[in-house]
Amino acid sequence: MKFDTVIIGGGLAGMVAGITLEKAGKKTAIISTGQNALHFFSGSFESLQEPEQRIVDLFSEAGVRLHYSPGVRLMPLGTFRESALALEDIDIFPSAQFARKVLIVNFLGYHDFFSSFLADGLEKQGMSCRVRFLNLPEMEKLEQSPSEMRSVQIARTMDRVWEKVVQEVRVLLKDEDTVVLPQVFGLQDMSVPGRIRQGIPARVVFAGTLPPSVPGLRTQILLKQRYQLLGGTYFMGDEVVRAHMHDGVVHSVATKNLDNHYIEGDHFILATGGYFSKGLVSNPFQVFEPVFGLDVEYNEDRNAWYNPAFKEDQPYMHFGVKADENLHALKDGQPVENLYVAGSVLGNNRPEFGTAAGKAVRTALKAADEILKV
Amino acid sequence: MNANEFDVIIIGGGITGAGTQRDCAMRGLRTLLIERSDIATGATGRNHGLLHSGARYAVNDPESAEECIKENMILRRIAAHCIDETDGLFITLPEDDLAYQQTFVDACRRAGIGAEIIDPELARRMEPSVNPDLIGAVKVPDGSVDPFRLCAANMLDAKLRGGQVRLHTEVTGFIKEGNTIKGVHTVNRQTGEKADYYAPVTVNACGIWGQHIAELAGVKVGMFPAKGALLIFAHRVNNVVINRCRKPANADILVPGDTVCVIGTTSTRIPFEECDHVAVTPDEVTLLITEGAKLAPSLSSTRILRAYAGVRPLVSADDDPSGRNISRGIVCLDHETRDGLKGFITITGGKLMTYRLMAEIATDAVCRKLAIEKACETADIPLPGSEEKSYEAVAQKIWEAPTTAQKAAASRMGTRASRIRTGNKRDDALICECEEVSVGEINAAIDRLEVSTLTDLRRRTRVGMGTCQGEFCACRAAGLLAKAHGCIERERKDLEDFLQERWKGNFPIGWGDTLREAEYTQWVYKHVLGL
Amino acid sequence: MKLQEYTESKHNFEECMKCTVCTAYCPVLQANPLYPGPKQAGPDGERLRLKDPYFFNQALKYCLNCKRCEVACPSGVNVADLIQSARIKYDHTPPKLRDVMLANTDFMGKLARPFAPIVNGVTGLGITKTVLDATLKIDHHRTFPKYSGTSFEGWLKRHRKEQAAFPEQVAYFHGCYVNYNYPQLGKDLVKVLNALGVGVQLLEKEKCCGIALIANGMSAQARKHAEHNVEQLRQAVTGKGLKVVTTSSTCTLTMREEYPNLLGVDNADVRESLLLATRFIYEKLEKGAQLKFKPGYHKKVAYHTPCHLEKMGWGIFSQKLLQMIPGVEFTLLDSNCCGISGTYGFKKENYEVSQAIGEPLFAQIRSVNPEVVACDCETCKWQIEMSTGYTVMNPISILAEAIES
Repeated sequence: MKFDTVIIGGGLAGMVAGITLEKAGKKTAIISTGQNALHFFSGSFESLQEPEQRIVDLFSEAGVRLHYSPGVRLMPLGTFRESALALEDIDIFPSAQFARKVLIVNFLGYHDFFSSFLADGLEKQGMSCRVRFLNLPEMEKLEQSPSEMRSVQIARTMDRVWEKVVQEVRVLLKDEDTVVLPQVFGLQDMSVPGRIRQGIPARVVFAGTLPPSVPGLRTQILLKQRYQLLGGTYFMGDEVVRAHMHDGVVHSVATKNLDNHYIEGDHFILATGGYFSKGLVSNPFQVFEPVFGLDVEYNEDRNAWYNPAFKEDQPYMHFGVKADENLHALKDGQPVENLYVAGSVLGNNRPEFGTAAGKAVRTALKAADEILKV
Repeated sequence: MNANEFDVIIIGGGITGAGTQRDCAMRGLRTLLIERSDIATGATGRNHGLLHSGARYAVNDPESAEECIKENMILRRIAAHCIDETDGLFITLPEDDLAYQQTFVDACRRAGIGAEIIDPELARRMEPSVNPDLIGAVKVPDGSVDPFRLCAANMLDAKLRGGQVRLHTEVTGFIKEGNTIKGVHTVNRQTGEKADYYAPVTVNACGIWGQHIAELAGVKVGMFPAKGALLIFAHRVNNVVINRCRKPANADILVPGDTVCVIGTTSTRIPFEECDHVAVTPDEVTLLITEGAKLAPSLSSTRILRAYAGVRPLVSADDDPSGRNISRGIVCLDHETRDGLKGFITITGGKLMTYRLMAEIATDAVCRKLAIEKACETADIPLPGSEEKSYEAVAQKIWEAPTTAQKAAASRMGTRASRIRTGNKRDDALICECEEVSVGEINAAIDRLEVSTLTDLRRRTRVGMGTCQGEFCACRAAGLLAKAHGCIERERKDLEDFLQERWKGNFPIGWGDTLREAEYTQWVYKHVLGL
Repeated sequence: MKLQEYTESKHNFEECMKCTVCTAYCPVLQANPLYPGPKQAGPDGERLRLKDPYFFNQALKYCLNCKRCEVACPSGVNVADLIQSARIKYDHTPPKLRDVMLANTDFMGKLARPFAPIVNGVTGLGITKTVLDATLKIDHHRTFPKYSGTSFEGWLKRHRKEQAAFPEQVAYFHGCYVNYNYPQLGKDLVKVLNALGVGVQLLEKEKCCGIALIANGMSAQARKHAEHNVEQLRQAVTGKGLKVVTTSSTCTLTMREEYPNLLGVDNADVRESLLLATRFIYEKLEKGAQLKFKPGYHKKVAYHTPCHLEKMGWGIFSQKLLQMIPGVEFTLLDSNCCGISGTYGFKKENYEVSQAIGEPLFAQIRSVNPEVVACDCETCKWQIEMSTGYTVMNPISILAEAIES
């Protein structure tokens, strides 16, 4: 099978690149080992301070609405983090003192939403908090399983019974100006968070839960749909096992599922992520890139990979594939002219791209732009 | 009677201290156990968890071998829920001297250890993970023992018999009248609260740290700290203990324990000041993997969960200040006869296997001082939880159709699993999915087992001991602890400490899947949850 | 030897990062709270089972083996294989009579075919269904697929000579369904392949692929089928240099993946020569072969990717073929399980779960309102037809309908 561009890695970077190229009329394929880091997405693009309009448009055409307002957002353990660009249902406040009186509502038996930590964090900012638990009969089926009071399963139920939550919260609400709810709304039905906000006569803030992230999962679903509607071919659950290169350019890749049916392309984008996604692989002796054997920036002394303090910055998290200015991957010191690198697999030595979600979007756009220039 | 007065104070919450407290309590004494951190934080929790048959010592140290096999048989009776009767193999590899096998078996028989030479093919069938190149094998009654469970059960029994426990409490000095120890000054390391406790006898059961406690009391006990490093693999590769049939050396024991297996150990002399900060070096990791793979080749491709190190409490003989004459045997010092200091006993040396005997010796010494004549019963009365032989029987008795988590709870708590509040879906909800720990089991631990931190909870329940190393369960469990203790601020710090503690054991083996997990944990806690 | 240099653990379950993504995509978990879910049943459970087989959980039988957990897993863990292997290794409860009947699809087919009109009449009767429901716990909502009076094998044998005349040859593993229930699909394949200049021959003697035996706890019998079939494939592939095509996604997955991974039957020498017919045809067209389509053909088609095809990653070939047909108005349905999973949905105790799992798919089909649903799996076909009333056709049949004869 032949495509204009073959994208290896179906996460945020891969899909942004794919959508951009499809919009420009190119025929593309995405090969993804499985689901991706969007399932752990906080919903905020920390490093995208001044978003280009095209980024906001690209997401909004997929049905993912973003908002830009520099400030702070509330983290699940009750702390605050700077943010500027985020998904529509992730609030960004001008300051951490965003309310006076807060009602925090959790579900009885749900341990992945940290209501007591949230209350403590908000009280530290001078807000007064009340924590209440909902006990909905609709959750009974979920609770029968000891391991399924988890975000996505609750969200599926909530897509059906969110109105019950609105009713119950209205009963609980006294003189609070703000209600904090877990981010378990709007998995399939994107309109739910907005309708909850309309239904409750106070400001509604959705705070994060343990992964999988419901807003992240929704973003994944929408971007993938958009990509496929544009004509993109998404190989889910397949893995590139080998690349075929001649004279310094990539011709095709072989995958686990398609065995001897190779996927050919004029251009390739490597967006395979960091260690978790196996974009980077490590053993006791080295860190390497497994598909093309590209040059990787890392420290040869394993002791220098880690900071013994967990909370400190970890050097290994900055390792990654080397690329030239235009994001051509380097192999044996030479740029591969039809292979580009985007997202977390790229080393963190390029501060202009920022980190994580922001870096994924920026580098994916840049790689796509470079391909369109050719 | 003052609430701060006891018959005996035991310093040190390792297995020796907890065992001594139980024994003293069984002899009718009012006991107080003081531990500066948590139970089983020293050598007790930092070894293989091997239920020695004694075979390892049979050739070089017949006395220890005899002690081991006797205690081995006793522990099978009294600590069933802490013990896994796996049996053990001593294998001879092509590079080993097969002639040693006969010397070894003869020595085992002299010590009373049932050692049986078996055909290598039978050994391969008995333990499929064993190095298939083996040329000889001896089967011995080794097993594995969960030191955390054993320690907690001893402490719990002492409590059930009226004993008191002060964890996270450090002894800062002794209350002395002339040449008599009357009690101790303490400070709670979490709250900063100070307290004095009084008793006519104080037992120093602090393992390697006994040297420091003795100094505080004004006497000298010379310890020779020897560090041993070990690795935990992510699943149970072997179901039978595998040893090398040769003179004891580095990394020649692979022990299955609960859901994992442990290879060890190394032996390095370290300065006393380093006892609190032992770290595993890359060289030790390499040695452990290389030697371990000779016992079970699949270790070379098995995910490693953690690296850790402990310090053996070796004691120098009193007449040899140079330290050359080190004993691995049990040392009980009555400082009245030795140093003229009354009311103070040191119990040290020995090993996990012989803790009960050490406790008996120490308690006998205490009783002599208090003129009490009750005989020791610890060899006969099962620990709380060990009244049934198998956890299958326990689970079946408590629950008609036990769930996976209930089976797991029965395997961890023995008959005490009946204390878990259950039958309610909210109590049955899982907190730790790797090790199958429910809300009910965690609350049962918080209620009865002196839990103040997540790390304490881990030692009682295995929360966070599984593959993900607490990635998901730590914050869930933190929510339960916060509820129990009512202090979020403390819990936030506790969560940080817990993650730091996990990372400490992860980074020395930080590659492959372990590094993937570490990256994911960083991502979850820093970027998603905002710790 | 550099120890630990192979960073992918040989013990595949250890690659699980506990990220729980699989649980978000498990169709059973959403419908049946008794099922512990892929993570708990798979990699988590494996560690406990290695500690003690006592930790084997009977609830693993609720797994559909749809393998959506494997498709979703970012770490490449063979979650469903772990679950099915555990069932094979630890579950020693003898299968029920009903399960034996459901599982032995070829035996039942052989038995029933000569009496097809009678059997079809009887199994379709309300009274028979009530009896089956009460005695065998086969849900009364289900209708057994009708048995055909003539087998596909019989038909093709009659056309052996003309097929042998084609310059290029393939062998066809037709499976139980085409042989006993729906020979027309086999005939459709012959038509399409003939149009491409390819003649079709049978394997010397194929047996049921064995998937239903595996699913119903009869792995020893399944292994015998596997050994037999691999030998048959070998004769065709290495003996005659043929490719072997199939029209059932499940038979294909079973023979390519389950044989080595679950049953331990080595198929390395024949695996790559065993292809779903849509892939074989797509590859031929890609290399320049031509099909002549009827002018004025029109059909609104909604394509459902069967779980096992999703796992193999081959849905793309069926999709591209359908999209290639002039006049086909194509919709790709969201990838959801239909809930039947072979014999699973036939069992009374699974009926409700089975329908709940399929509901999102049924709802989408109703909203797209196609003329036909296209799908490469026969059991999906029964489920979708029973649950929605829409006709389901194999892409090969649509292709056959659209080309000039």
